[in-house]
Amino acid sequence: MSFLESWITNFLTITMFFYIASFLLYLVRLFKGPTIPDMILAIDALGYDLAAFLIILSILFKNPVLIPCAIVLTLWIYALDIYVAKYLEAKEMGE
Amino acid sequence: MDTELINWTLVVVGQILVAVGVFCDFVAALLMIRFPNFYVRLHALTIGSIGGAVVPAIGAALIAAGSPFLGMYRWFLAGGALVTALFIFILGGAGAHAIARATYRAKAAEYRPCYVDQLAEDRGEVGC
Amino acid sequence: MLGLADLVFIMLGISALLSVPATVLAVLSRDLLKAVILSALQSTMYTLMFFLLMAPDIVLVYVAVSIGFMSLLIILLIKKVGRYEGRLG
Repeated sequence: MSFLESWITNFLTITMFFYIASFLLYLVRLFKGPTIPDMILAIDALGYDLAAFLIILSILFKNPVLIPCAIVLTLWIYALDIYVAKYLEAKEMGE
Repeated sequence: MDTELINWTLVVVGQILVAVGVFCDFVAALLMIRFPNFYVRLHALTIGSIGGAVVPAIGAALIAAGSPFLGMYRWFLAGGALVTALFIFILGGAGAHAIARATYRAKAAEYRPCYVDQLAEDRGEVGC
Repeated sequence: MLGLADLVFIMLGISALLSVPATVLAVLSRDLLKAVILSALQSTMYTLMFFLLMAPDIVLVYVAVSIGFMSLLIILLIKKVGRYEGRLG
């Protein structure tokens, strides 16, 4: 293992702990959220940060084929956001 | 020797971007708990999606481009990371606007420390 | 010093443990829209688990079906039948 490889691996391994800690803090807001839009905000931020975390993990596993998962996860989290926004708005404006 | 220097430059710049992104992510997770109501938490969502996801994705793309131990497929990884960063950059802002507009129209979240509501005053309703 | 394999197992355990209270709260909650969001959280945790088990093809299908189509169908259904679950007996 060259010096560059061990340097990158150690740095990204330290990075992972901060990501996991912030995921747990987002989950506190998601379980505690008083209204529906608060929970939507929490799961939105959780999904986008999970996409960035999957990119970092696919560098760390040295397996570049894992990268399309991040793109797909981003697009479907956005779709969930739009569904709930349409539901909340149709109740006031009538379909 | 030249490629070694270019690789180290790409890796160090990418690591700086990833460190900035991790800091923004942690701050956004703390602010998501501490902020008082929904309309202020939108600010925490924007910190979390732009600072916490776009910046580390670009940094990860630079790290992947500068690490030759990943083989020839590292350009695939760098391109995928850049596409993900572009998607989050567009869709994060669009989703935040959509959920904020729907919440304001449907009055789904109350805002307790309310000082001014100029949109309601413009529409002829009573603000605050 | 923890190796990478140990960290992978720790993350698998954390995500599997966090999907349990999401499922329990989704079953117990009276607000059906809240149940949809909690089941989306369970799907997100399972996505991380399938990614850590090195199955990217299953991730591609599971995310589309479980976050996308199932939420869409259940929200369309909630729009027909009402949001709050009635008290049973």
